[in-house]
Amino acid sequence: MSRFPGFRGAKHLLVAIGLGSTALGTGAMLTFYEESLPGSLNPLYASSMVDYRAQELIFDRLYFHHPIDNRLTSKLVEKGEVAEMGKGWKVTLKPNLKWHDGKPVTGEDICFTVKAMLDPATPSPIAQGYRTILAGCSAEGSNVAIIKFTKVVHNPMERLGFAVLPKSQFQGTAIQPDDVFSQKPIGSGAYKGLRNKRMATYDAFPNGHHNPGVAKLQLQEGGDPAVQVSTLKNNGMQGMIAVPPPFRPEVSATDDLALKSYDLRSWWFVAVNTKKGPLSDRKVRQALNLLLDRMDLREKSIGVKAGEQNSPCEFISGPFVQSSPFYNRKVLVSERADRAKAAQLLKEAGLEQVGGRWSYGGQPVTFKIGMLSPLNNEAPDLLQQISNQLGAGGFDRHEEKVSADDWQRKVVSGAAMDFDLLVGKWSFGVVDEVNEIFETRGANKKGALNIFNYSNPTVDQQIVEYNQARTDTAANDAYHKLHATLADDLPYLFLWKLDTKSAWRSEVKGNTIAPYYYWTEVDAWKYLN
Amino acid sequence: MVRLFAALLLPAAVPAILTALIWALPGDPAEIICPRASCEATDALAARWHLDEGPWGFYTHWGRAALAGDFGMSWRVLQGVPVSEMLAGAVPMTLVLLAAALLPVLAGAVGAGSGFLPRRADGSLHVAGLVPAVIFSLFFAAVIALRFGGNSFGEEATLWRLVFGAIVLSVADGALAGAVGGVRALFRTERKQRYVQIAALRGEGMLENVLPNVAAALAGQLRARVLHLVSGLVVVEVVLKIDGLGDLLWSGTLKQDFGVVLAAATGFAAVSAALLLAQAMLEIAVALHIRRAPRVAAAVSA
Amino acid sequence: MNRRTPAMLAAACVLALAALAAFAPERLPETLPDRANLGPLGSFPFGTDDRGRPLLAYAQQGARVVLFPAAASAVLVGVLAVCGGLLRCVGDERVDGVVQAFGEVLGALPRMVVILVAALLMGSGGGLLPLGLLWALLSAPGAMDEAASVAERLGGARFVEALRAHGFSWSRIFLYHIVALNLRPVVVRQAAETAMQVTFLELSLSYLALASEQPSFTHPDSMRSWADILQLGYLSLALGKPTGHALVLGLVLVALVTASAMLLTRAARAR
Repeated sequence: MSRFPGFRGAKHLLVAIGLGSTALGTGAMLTFYEESLPGSLNPLYASSMVDYRAQELIFDRLYFHHPIDNRLTSKLVEKGEVAEMGKGWKVTLKPNLKWHDGKPVTGEDICFTVKAMLDPATPSPIAQGYRTILAGCSAEGSNVAIIKFTKVVHNPMERLGFAVLPKSQFQGTAIQPDDVFSQKPIGSGAYKGLRNKRMATYDAFPNGHHNPGVAKLQLQEGGDPAVQVSTLKNNGMQGMIAVPPPFRPEVSATDDLALKSYDLRSWWFVAVNTKKGPLSDRKVRQALNLLLDRMDLREKSIGVKAGEQNSPCEFISGPFVQSSPFYNRKVLVSERADRAKAAQLLKEAGLEQVGGRWSYGGQPVTFKIGMLSPLNNEAPDLLQQISNQLGAGGFDRHEEKVSADDWQRKVVSGAAMDFDLLVGKWSFGVVDEVNEIFETRGANKKGALNIFNYSNPTVDQQIVEYNQARTDTAANDAYHKLHATLADDLPYLFLWKLDTKSAWRSEVKGNTIAPYYYWTEVDAWKYLN
Repeated sequence: MVRLFAALLLPAAVPAILTALIWALPGDPAEIICPRASCEATDALAARWHLDEGPWGFYTHWGRAALAGDFGMSWRVLQGVPVSEMLAGAVPMTLVLLAAALLPVLAGAVGAGSGFLPRRADGSLHVAGLVPAVIFSLFFAAVIALRFGGNSFGEEATLWRLVFGAIVLSVADGALAGAVGGVRALFRTERKQRYVQIAALRGEGMLENVLPNVAAALAGQLRARVLHLVSGLVVVEVVLKIDGLGDLLWSGTLKQDFGVVLAAATGFAAVSAALLLAQAMLEIAVALHIRRAPRVAAAVSA
Repeated sequence: MNRRTPAMLAAACVLALAALAAFAPERLPETLPDRANLGPLGSFPFGTDDRGRPLLAYAQQGARVVLFPAAASAVLVGVLAVCGGLLRCVGDERVDGVVQAFGEVLGALPRMVVILVAALLMGSGGGLLPLGLLWALLSAPGAMDEAASVAERLGGARFVEALRAHGFSWSRIFLYHIVALNLRPVVVRQAAETAMQVTFLELSLSYLALASEQPSFTHPDSMRSWADILQLGYLSLALGKPTGHALVLGLVLVALVTASAMLLTRAARAR
């Protein structure tokens, strides 16, 4: 409560001007706040988690992991079998599948999607990802398609998680981002979607394979989380996809609201520029790792106190969340800072301490630290806190937030080499492969997400081992070794996995939230208004 | 003449200047959608959007198409939507907002000029004008979100956004206070002129003598006030989520959607040009009026 | 009121802002969650933010962000306004016409539109100074026009000729009789208003950056703007959060800037 008595009644100002009464009801429509509006409703141009979620309502992916038991399944395919001596996969579609314009879903559509992705004139990074594994497609009859691979693959269904596009909506296989399809797509999913400047709306489309329980959905951009939570409490909106940790206690304390876990398998990191100055020395990186007091960071940024039960934030020692089979439990987490040991390592690396500040080659060391700007919502002030800890450890520093566009264009593509440290987050689906993040950049998308163009032959070799693994055990072993190597070499200072939580009003029932794609089981959702 | 020339030049000059400026931004939208490291068709996409032709090539291509009424498709703000469609929605919204914000400003100016608005009101207007538009807008944006929830972008909520936007634009950042103060000062100075005092002694009306002489200055002030409001539009529209030209310009610039930026900026330039034209016309009319002034009886008899 | 009182009050306001800026910490102090949202009585003098950091540091950093750019922009507008007035007194119609044409085009550009593009162009590295100077440049035609009008009322070139006939030197005529005695009120008012507008511009740009999850356009990300204080404070009004003290502080700071501008204008008015 404010110390100014005059402000105690300020919240009633809304009522005083006649606008502060209970929010209007919204009929049978289920409305929810997203982190932002989707950039595109075309699955070939998804570039954010918001895009993936927004598109999941409209399109069917050929195969997907079931959110309950994790088995690979499909809503479109009745039967799938190996073809072309292991270099192909033959799919037979279920009967009575329809696009949102009423036309039937056919094998031609499957093949069109494959050909569109293979067309070099389709400027899509997602399509590019499929070009290394898909070779072509041929349709047989109306409901059969044979998808061809570039090589024999042992898990073909795993490679066919793309959303199927309707051939009839395009002039050719070169699909452009500014096609009207990006705004008014035609899919075969549970909802027919439309995006405008302020929202995306979804109308239920009962189909042979979908029977949505909510007639209409409406997605709006979130804005200030405090306003979002208040609107939810007023029943002005019914859901909020991501509740920042500082607001979770307030949501939990509200009877009409329920916090729901959203398994994003995302982990946070500080990427280290191993090509720059003293950071090229492993000992300096190890020293930085020891200077970070993760417990303190977590408390000051996310608000989790030491020893708190059911913490949404779990420390990690490598590039996997602790629940992943790839996580190597033998590598221990560094929770607290150890400045004495860090100082020793820095001295061994040739740094000198002058007047409490570290110098390298006679020059004081100043780190340029960046952070993906939207992360500040989830972990407020994290950039400042990391900077403060490094400052306390004897380094000068300069902080700079990085916009999402710059992150996409400069950081991910390895062009932000002027930074020394970058704070970011990677999110994964059920399979948390990290090859593109750590392998040396090269042809065929190798190292496509390698932020500071890190290169380590041992890491590359361990990634090759993972790629060549033919059993889950072999794959796990390869990634366990990778985990240990990275925890020692430290191209990243690994921070934590931070749970993502959604808030939904209690009138919303059956709301199973699928990992990563969120809406995979939307048919079962009900809104008892 | 100068104003006429400037008015004609603006709609072409503003997009040209902006093209030069946005060309200097690091990277381009083709690289954001299709980053070179993970996508091989970046150059093809750049060619599709004429980004490979340099700033002059891009500008001339855009200008030719715009003259034919084709502003292209939005690349990133609202992918796949014709920019002309976005403009068709945004321009009326901005004009309504501007007109609504101008009403109290005009009323205040008239009140100050005629003496109807007492001087003691100036202090209150100044105090209200102290609050930055951002704060007013934030408050009203929260009010609408809380009140309308899921219907925040329905017709009623949109109407409220416009009402609140107009209030913010006209009151905040000293717009109304500036208009009232400016007009009052102008009339006060003019009333002190000897010809006005002589006219008063002759029993003639004050306003009919003063108005023709201050009309040009008033027009200049009015144009400055409208430009002040136009300048504030961007912030108000963005914070209050009003789908006008200002919001379009901001989102277009932020996302490097060049077609949207140039179209929205041309819209702003057109408003500015129209104001210049109106001022020029008014000045010509005043000059003609003064030249055709009624003959003074004494002079005729002499 | 004579002119000395507003002059002294204006000086006091500017000094207060300068003192805030001079002692601004390079970074915000450590967070202390237990001391979140304390009012001025709980944490002297301005209370704390929602993470327990003193709002005094916000006020100081915000003052540092705006003070020099606002002053520099004011000086630029003042200098250009003086030039506008003096050019009219010189009486060269050709130069006057060119300046007027240039001013018409520049003054007709939608200011905020140009500023936004420039802000994005420069990114976070540019800071407020270039944006403030750009704003001043775009505001200059109005100031020059007004100063020229004053000079014209004075008699323009005829006024200069008359003073020359009285034996005054060029420098005395231009610097004392024209600028100091006659253009001063207009020039000071325009300069003071520009300083105020640049401060408001900073608030707007900082908020837009916050709302659109962009790095700040006007200051390093280790610093805070007054927009952060106001954003914290508006929640008290809209949602009844206990941050009313932040709103009051934000508005007081804005009022201090506006009061400085108004008092300076009053102090510089003609006798």
